Amino acid sequence: MNKSLAEKFYYYMKLGREFELRAKEEYMKGNIGGFLHLAIGEEGTHVGAILGFGNGEFFVHYRDHVYAIARGISPKLLMAELFGKITGVSKGKGGSMHFYSSKFNFYGGNAIVGAHIPHAVGLAYAKKYLGKSDGVMVAFGDGSTNSGNFYESLNLAAVYQVPLLFFCENNYYAIGTRIDRVSAFKDLYKKAKDYMIAIQIDGMDVFEVYRAVSLAKEYIQEEGKPYFIEALTYRYESHSMSDSGDYRSPRELKIAKEKDPIDNLLKKAFKESLLTKEFVEEIDRKVEIEIEEAVEFALNSKEPDLEELYKDIFCED
Amino acid sequence: MDYEITMPRLTDTMESGVIVRWLKSEGDYVKKNEPVVEIETEKAIQEVPAFKDGILKKILAEEGQEVDVGKPIAILEITKEVPITSPPKTQEEEISVKVEEKITPEIVEEASKIGEQIQQQTQAVKEALASPYAKKLSADFGFPLKELQEKGEIPSPAHEKDIREYLYSQYIDKDTLKDLKQYSINIDKLIKDLQGNLSKDNIYRYIKENNIYKLSDIPIFQKRLIEHLSKSATVPTFHIYEAINLKNILDKKEFTITTYILKIFADVMQNHYRTRIYYGNGKYRIYPSSNISVAIAVDEELFSPVIKNIEDKSLKNIQEQLQILREKAQDRKFDPEDFEGGTFSISNLGMFGIDMFDAIIPYNYSGIAAIGIEKNGYVNIVFSFDHRIINGKDAALFVKELKEKFDDVEYIESLK
Amino acid sequence: MLYRDALKKAIDELMEIDDTIVILGEDVGFYGGNYRVTDGLFSKYGEKRVIDTPIAENSIVGNAIGMAFGGLRPVVEIMTVNFSLLAYDQIVNQLAKIRYMSGGDICIPLTIRMPQGVAKQLAAQHSQSFERIFASIPGLKVFTASDSITAYYGLKQAILSDDPVIFLEHLLLYSQDFLFYEINDFDITKQRIVKSGENITLVSCLKILHDSLEAVKEVEKKLGITVEVIELTSLSPLNLDLVYESVKKTKRLVVVSEEPKTGSFTSEIITKVMENCFYYLDAPPLRITAEDTPTPYNRKLELFSIPTPDKIATKIINWGREHGL
Repeated sequence: MNKSLAEKFYYYMKLGREFELRAKEEYMKGNIGGFLHLAIGEEGTHVGAILGFGNGEFFVHYRDHVYAIARGISPKLLMAELFGKITGVSKGKGGSMHFYSSKFNFYGGNAIVGAHIPHAVGLAYAKKYLGKSDGVMVAFGDGSTNSGNFYESLNLAAVYQVPLLFFCENNYYAIGTRIDRVSAFKDLYKKAKDYMIAIQIDGMDVFEVYRAVSLAKEYIQEEGKPYFIEALTYRYESHSMSDSGDYRSPRELKIAKEKDPIDNLLKKAFKESLLTKEFVEEIDRKVEIEIEEAVEFALNSKEPDLEELYKDIFCED
Repeated sequence: MDYEITMPRLTDTMESGVIVRWLKSEGDYVKKNEPVVEIETEKAIQEVPAFKDGILKKILAEEGQEVDVGKPIAILEITKEVPITSPPKTQEEEISVKVEEKITPEIVEEASKIGEQIQQQTQAVKEALASPYAKKLSADFGFPLKELQEKGEIPSPAHEKDIREYLYSQYIDKDTLKDLKQYSINIDKLIKDLQGNLSKDNIYRYIKENNIYKLSDIPIFQKRLIEHLSKSATVPTFHIYEAINLKNILDKKEFTITTYILKIFADVMQNHYRTRIYYGNGKYRIYPSSNISVAIAVDEELFSPVIKNIEDKSLKNIQEQLQILREKAQDRKFDPEDFEGGTFSISNLGMFGIDMFDAIIPYNYSGIAAIGIEKNGYVNIVFSFDHRIINGKDAALFVKELKEKFDDVEYIESLK
Repeated sequence: MLYRDALKKAIDELMEIDDTIVILGEDVGFYGGNYRVTDGLFSKYGEKRVIDTPIAENSIVGNAIGMAFGGLRPVVEIMTVNFSLLAYDQIVNQLAKIRYMSGGDICIPLTIRMPQGVAKQLAAQHSQSFERIFASIPGLKVFTASDSITAYYGLKQAILSDDPVIFLEHLLLYSQDFLFYEINDFDITKQRIVKSGENITLVSCLKILHDSLEAVKEVEKKLGITVEVIELTSLSPLNLDLVYESVKKTKRLVVVSEEPKTGSFTSEIITKVMENCFYYLDAPPLRITAEDTPTPYNRKLELFSIPTPDKIATKIINWGREHGL
């Protein structure tokens, strides 16, 4: 474990959490509309995966803010997107669930469960064909492992032998249905293990996620083969802002929160002297300012002009 | 059960027919063998009967429409019994039924009053409809379209052509306009060119000066004739020219020369089987009897019905047959068999003072004899033969015997 | 030139000069394609560029989208349009939307080729026509190929386009031999006049266009008029300028399609013509389509369910007589 890594973990996890807490507040104020899916509680999984994977294209589902922040997409552009402003990362046309940035190799948000997994297979195929080896990662939830897209993609990734990391974040709930009620396997990595190497890790521990993903990355790059990681994690919030979350008991939530990834990180980092109190306080201040600036930026940004409606449909217009 | 009445094949060459007139209306009860429709074929107009008892449920082909053989022209609902509940009647029809039931002058008067009322009502109800373009056009011309439609000067629904026709009728009288339609003429241009002076004389002068032609549809029988003649023209043909002695028959008053000619030809054909051949589908059809077709012209139409078994017929009989065929031609009402079975043909233009001419062989016949005018007891005949059926020598022998027979007094006297 | 050869020629010529073009689909490689369109390309370009996929349409299109993200120019063959429904999420929710949702950040140069239409007794699940289904999705370009010229030039234009294109072919056209000649300024988005005329404008595409052309001979004979026939080569973008111009001249519109009538793409053509040429119309537009039924297996019923040259001719003639021709 090194110090600078722990500092990065803390910064992105804190920034992610504060961003989402603020997004929740802005949603309640009416500044953000549509569906808003929060990943509070899952920061260890999201930040550990992105930092562990390094470069290479990344595909993700609709619970995507923390991943994007960890990738380096500015909270300003993200918040503006959530506010539907022209300055947003997708000019206000995508929103919380779907934004893209080819500059950051960031493909999604995608709001159709599992539909982005075949894209990742295809992109990995293209990279292999073009002789690029830095691999592709696709993150998806437990819910999508019951879809045809998932199984078709496991098969094809294995058939084509492409450098693709399947990253399953198992937060146990597909909206309001507990995964073991609708999946034949409680351990989801078992679904993939006949196609490729598949492991299960503790997603609440950012160090473990980081380590597992880095090793996987090395493997897919060197072997040119797919790899599968199931990270066990937990979301504190409901599926989206519009559901009550009462399908989970307060006790269950309490137990989960005891393993909070940020607390977990701090405990470990302080113990091993990787972080100082002063650093954490400084980061907290920095994050507060950044979030404040992001909201300011979003609020002050313009709405798209009406003619924007007709733009960006085709390349050739 | 529904039964389709299809366009019948009335002759072996018929490919399509034109509906001339429906003799029954939709809803009428038709008995088996009762004529339902008149069909025009290349040869004639014929009545076509129903083959089943039933109600004429739906007419599928309008009068004037050309329909391919075998395609449905009407639907008959087969039923043995005259329907008790007759098909739905219009109010007018209903009234006339009542009138028939108990005819008294009062009822007739009352009925006619009601009839008028209904007529007025239906007229009032009938909307003045027009296509968008017809509306636009009449607005451009400043026509009060709805008013004109109510007056009946423009029909409803109105189309572009109705508006144009109305426009033209403002400049040109009705009969001339009707006649003009037959010319390949742009009436808009005519009106423009003849500004101010659209009198009948001026219009026709314009047509002549601009060399504008009349465009005429070819009647179906003529089309068939053209097809037939075009095929005939592809046949390898040779001719024999001969003057035939008519002196022995010229004084015969009881029967016409044509009758004698037919009889003598028929007798000689019996000795020359190749003249009794019809070339069909790559095979020879050799007929035992002498069947000769005779060209009959009525107005602009030409028919070639066949008289069969002439060798066994008396002169009187032949003459009667000829008369019947001429009458049929006048009415254009032949039976299909009138055109079947011929192998040789005779055409006569002598009555027009023609000395000698050349005739086209009816397609697949063995030959034709073209007969000119009688001069000094002789007549020039040009024989044309189909070389696929008969060769030069056989044809020469046939003509030689014909000549001998016309010369043979004893033989001619024996003819009855 | 055979229609299938025209398609292959287009693909082959482009693959020769651009190695980012790859083909993928069921049986497209080793087997040579179920309609022999890609025959020979597997041995010429190898399995990396001519990719045999499993029977998993959703993944075929999904993978192709990913390949396009990665800088390739994929040409997908879906065996028939009927199976495209298995990829409908990828086509509609993904392919058509991602550029827009990315605020124009991402281009997807991807062509999906597929045949449609009634062939012979393939019955309800293999006989559909989907013009309406694809042309009504913003974000997709939809082209059709009715003969070897549109097949060759149109497919080239589709593959070279940086946007997603649905390229509709017809099952019965593959083995047809069409006149082929070179055109310098072909643009599939403009539609194409295949026969000029004065009194009726007939709009159609794919196989039924040829049936319509046959019917037109009869119509012209019977009504003593001439018909202008316009091939619809691009359903999206839908540029109907040629049609408007023609209708303004002829004043009458007939649209012929193999889709079932209700909600068919013919409705869109007619609506647009009504919007743009209303005051020029001298008759209500005529729609000739398949019946609103699934396609039956029985040959007699099958033929009864779709427009045939005979039926097209009769319908136009009766309509013409009813409306002032």
